[in-house]
Amino acid sequence: MASLITCPHCGLRPKEEFAIRGDASRGRPEPMDSDEAWHDYVYVRANPRGRTLEHWHHVAGCRRFLVVERDTATHEVYSVVDAAEFARRAAQ
Amino acid sequence: MVRDYNNRHALEQKLRSAPTPSAADHLMVGHWRTMATVLARTGQAEAVRQAIASVPELSLRFSGPGEWLVVSEVEAPSGLVRRLGELCDGRAHVVDQSDGRVVFRLAGPNVRSILAKGIGLDLHPAAFTIGGSANALCGHIPVNLARTDEDTFELIVPRSYAESLFDDLTKMGRAFDLTAAFSD
Amino acid sequence: MTGYRLSSGGLVDRSKTLSFTFDGRPLRGFAGDTLASALLANDQLLIGRSFKYHRPRGIVSAGPSEPNALVTIGSDARTDPNTKATVTELYGGLTAKSQNRWPSLGFDVGAVNGMLSPFLGAGFYYKTFMWPKQFWERVYEPFIRRAAGLGRAVLERDPETYEKSWAFCDLLVVGAGPAGLMAALTAGRAGLRVIVADEDFRLGGSLLATGETVDGAPASVFADRTVAELQALPNVTLLSRTTVFGWYDDNVFGAVERVQKHIAEPSSKLVSERVWRIVAKRALMATGAEERPLVFGGNDRPGVMMAGAMTTYAERYGVAAGKQITIFTSGSAGYRTARALASKGVAIAAIVDARAESADQAPDGIRVIRSASVVDTKGRQRLKGIVVERSGFEELIVCDALGMSGGFSPVVHLACQRGARPVWSEELKAFVAPDVGGGLRAVGAANGVYTLSSCLSDGAEKAAAIAADLGFRASSAAAPVVDGEEATSFSALWYVPGAKSKAFVDFQNDVHAKDLGLALREGFGHVEHAKRYTTSGMATDQGKLSNINAVGILAGMRGVSPADVGTTTFRPFYTPVSFGALAGAARDEHAAPARKSPLHGWAMKNGATFIEAGLWHRSAWFPRAGEKTWRDSVDREVLNVRANVGLCDVSTLGKIEVFGPDAAEFLNRLYCNPVLKLPVGKARYGLMLREDGVVFDDGTVSRFDEEHFFVTTTTAMAGPVMAHMEYCAQTLWPDLEVRFTSSTDQWAQMAIAGPKARAVLQQIVDGDISDDAFPFLSVRKIALKSGVSARLFRISFSGELAFELAVPAGYGEAVADQIMEAGRPHDICAYGVEALNVLRLEKGLLTHAEFDGRVTPDDAGLGRMLSMQKTDFIGKRLSTRYGLTAADRMQLVGLKPVDADKDMRAGAHLLKEGTKPSTLNDQGWVSSAGFSPVLGHAIALAFLRSGRERYGEKVIVFDKLRDQEIVAEVCDPVFVDPQNAKLKA
Repeated sequence: MASLITCPHCGLRPKEEFAIRGDASRGRPEPMDSDEAWHDYVYVRANPRGRTLEHWHHVAGCRRFLVVERDTATHEVYSVVDAAEFARRAAQ
Repeated sequence: MVRDYNNRHALEQKLRSAPTPSAADHLMVGHWRTMATVLARTGQAEAVRQAIASVPELSLRFSGPGEWLVVSEVEAPSGLVRRLGELCDGRAHVVDQSDGRVVFRLAGPNVRSILAKGIGLDLHPAAFTIGGSANALCGHIPVNLARTDEDTFELIVPRSYAESLFDDLTKMGRAFDLTAAFSD
Repeated sequence: MTGYRLSSGGLVDRSKTLSFTFDGRPLRGFAGDTLASALLANDQLLIGRSFKYHRPRGIVSAGPSEPNALVTIGSDARTDPNTKATVTELYGGLTAKSQNRWPSLGFDVGAVNGMLSPFLGAGFYYKTFMWPKQFWERVYEPFIRRAAGLGRAVLERDPETYEKSWAFCDLLVVGAGPAGLMAALTAGRAGLRVIVADEDFRLGGSLLATGETVDGAPASVFADRTVAELQALPNVTLLSRTTVFGWYDDNVFGAVERVQKHIAEPSSKLVSERVWRIVAKRALMATGAEERPLVFGGNDRPGVMMAGAMTTYAERYGVAAGKQITIFTSGSAGYRTARALASKGVAIAAIVDARAESADQAPDGIRVIRSASVVDTKGRQRLKGIVVERSGFEELIVCDALGMSGGFSPVVHLACQRGARPVWSEELKAFVAPDVGGGLRAVGAANGVYTLSSCLSDGAEKAAAIAADLGFRASSAAAPVVDGEEATSFSALWYVPGAKSKAFVDFQNDVHAKDLGLALREGFGHVEHAKRYTTSGMATDQGKLSNINAVGILAGMRGVSPADVGTTTFRPFYTPVSFGALAGAARDEHAAPARKSPLHGWAMKNGATFIEAGLWHRSAWFPRAGEKTWRDSVDREVLNVRANVGLCDVSTLGKIEVFGPDAAEFLNRLYCNPVLKLPVGKARYGLMLREDGVVFDDGTVSRFDEEHFFVTTTTAMAGPVMAHMEYCAQTLWPDLEVRFTSSTDQWAQMAIAGPKARAVLQQIVDGDISDDAFPFLSVRKIALKSGVSARLFRISFSGELAFELAVPAGYGEAVADQIMEAGRPHDICAYGVEALNVLRLEKGLLTHAEFDGRVTPDDAGLGRMLSMQKTDFIGKRLSTRYGLTAADRMQLVGLKPVDADKDMRAGAHLLKEGTKPSTLNDQGWVSSAGFSPVLGHAIALAFLRSGRERYGEKVIVFDKLRDQEIVAEVCDPVFVDPQNAKLKA
């Protein structure tokens, strides 16, 4: 895990200021989507080795959810973007 | 600012004892300070920031995108909320936090060494400039940190944490004989 | 060996004598000594006993790699066991004790293990302590623990204090030897923010222990000059006595500074140790190189030490390791030691060179025996002589000290702590640092560069490159000129053949060469297996001296290159770090913050007993004179609220202000019940679900105007609910125009509950609060008669007529005092969270004792709250699953004991009458229980299978913790005033 995260709003911060919420790659299904889609969304988690997208909540900073793209094996952080920004981009 | 004796400061117990002369490194607790959270509406952050920044006696403390604590040393709480309402003109929501936050002003030659014991931010004069502010952790306690002068920082802490932060700062400053007192 | 202080020389201050004791014996040293150099000067050769065989052991090294000279420093609560004498700065009054010996260091009963050694080979524990199985815990473990010998921790409370600190820099230089100092100087002059950390109390590293000169002055003078210049630079921080112990992600380094470990009577203002977390843009690892011991018969005899250590003791401390010294070497370093010692008048008996030929220059008149090996040593607790073998002929050489040198290994630990493995260099016959990117680079001897001039230039060049990289301009000052430079070459010699007695690889764990052979034969030849099978490298020194030889020996036995064997895994910490330092200041009241309510002072005045609820200190009950137990107080408070009126501090509830045109829509999607059409001026009870349909939190939602809502959460879930709302607003529905912020700390909030609540409150509130003007679930911004602005809520958590009044936190105490005063004629009382809990229990109202992460709204009897007409809300989709709607789910019920004098406790399980306790027979559990003073018996809330169909049935309440079974009757969970007549009065 990274020791430091560069928050797009607050700059370089120690990891202790963040809470990790988990997979950020999947969107919430629509209310009428299939049982399988909802089951996957609520219960099924991948545990990837390598690049992964995660929600990091900057709890002790700007209180924004961030999407951190990082490597679970090398711990390299590739990018950090605001989650709302990320969601809007994904919606397009 | 006239002191309201019905309004009890969160540190009244802690700072009850007679004040000792301040050392070079000194912790000053504002007996009365007015502040409010300002939440800009979508797309209005920059306009709101500029409107507030144009008033010299209001100090903006960054909390998050489109969110600030605005501190005033001259207004009363209701006055500040009204003033901000006028300034923002519907572009932001304003929440009085004057009673919900306590301001610690830490000043002195060793202020950075003291704060580094709790805060994982680069406080070097070139990295954290005067006027800069940020939400951060001081030890386990959430604070808003601002640099208000060359060697002066202000920590704004939720009221319920004030006694614990005071105890922590006192311990962090022990090596430098840090003193503490109310500002008036 | 006969250690003694040379008549002159060294960097110790001979004008400052320091007294200390070793095993009670008073000794003297000088300022600038380490404990080891002072012991050596006093001819105290025997320092400790080895771990397994209890063999006599002396000083081997002059630094942090020391395997043998471990002592206990201090006494009572200030005891530090397993301290390396070689890095312990001497101070006046220091008391040191040897370890792992009984009854005394000189005569040790455990030494019998040495005679039993044929039975104590590698894997001994694994083979011996196998069976019978019942012996594992009762016999074998105590035996092993007693036999395992190192210092003992004391049980007293540690009186020292510790702290942590952050530091940020452009360049961190680890190690202040020639390369490190030169790098720091170059970077410091260029204007970089530089931190230099060195574990030693004096900066200079090998510059302090060499006869070479730099720029015409002794190397130590050059070191002092450089340190002085660095000290004068405002952008450079020098940390001596500071070990950089770990390299972490994003170039964050951990370091421990021993602030007051070298002081007999530490100042109470300063900490004992400080842990630094250093965020470095770049770092240079100037950690030097470690000289390798030679693995020959009897190489653990006190008096055998590293040749380089002998040089250090002579040059830096002015101490000779013996009066008649032999050198055993496979490289030029042994000659260097011989020359250094000879120049100080120490007699050299011979140089035993394992190589057939070399260009190295022995001091005049000193005998050199080439192609020779030391195969045994003589003496018991100190070296008396060595047996040298050459071409089959053995010769006894009388000497009292032997310096050994088997070449050098760069110290590359830091670079290998994040998964990268060191790389074998055939050229250097050593493992070197892997390329780990630009953040951390090895420099100087750590980079395999061994001459002084090349170390200096390597430091300068690497620092200049970093400066340029970071946008600074480094001036190209003239490189310092080195005189009397000594080259370094060696041939690798992992094992000296022909050993006549045990040849130790790992001194601290008593692993000898044969143990490694055994490991290989028994199938544990992989380096990680061999380590664990033999315990080589597993002692507190982590094999700093031994690992390389173990690898070399394994490679030799397997007939491969050390590159094929590889190394074991490097991990932080480089040297041991105390738990105190790692805990830092987070102890006692500093371990976690205490949150105090704005009504804390009011509660104290009213005599509250406090209880910790998460971080909060909440008033639990308010004892009065004559009340013997907490129950007396709680019963009185409950009855008084039911009969008259009470005031309770509820400021700790989470409070969130929600704004915006989409605020109603946002909250409507968060709560499972409808919120969209909540009228302005009204409050509503609300339930938030998790996405899986289980209850997340409950609270109230109020509407102050069209675009301003006010949400309360339970005390415990204030943080999680806020985070949940942020998650939903930012990641799920970023296009909703809604903003919110916590106002938990802004308001002092008090519940005024009881039939006389209105009568009391009306005295201080401006405006009509009659039931007509302000009916149940009304909310309003009001003014108090005193002028304080406030918020008033007509909500109840007791079933009584109740209000919650919120005033700005600072006014809380004054207003609460005022209410108590106004309520005096109405017999008002303060009540705490215990009474609050009984009041809600009597009414069947729920808390997180019920909402425990398994319970759906329907389970809790709140199924009608689910608004399935809404298109969507968090938890809606999965709420309809069969498993969450099945008729045999555990449902909320009330319980009352059949015998009124029996009590019940939360956590008890429910059984059908006549069945035995088993998982299969489990019918549910008690979630909350207490004594109802109104009913005069215990009551409980419970979850019972299909419970709502079973009112009137008798069940067994099975409490395994108290081994108690009682019979209770299942009933409606509302015990008091089921018609809510009092609530709506």
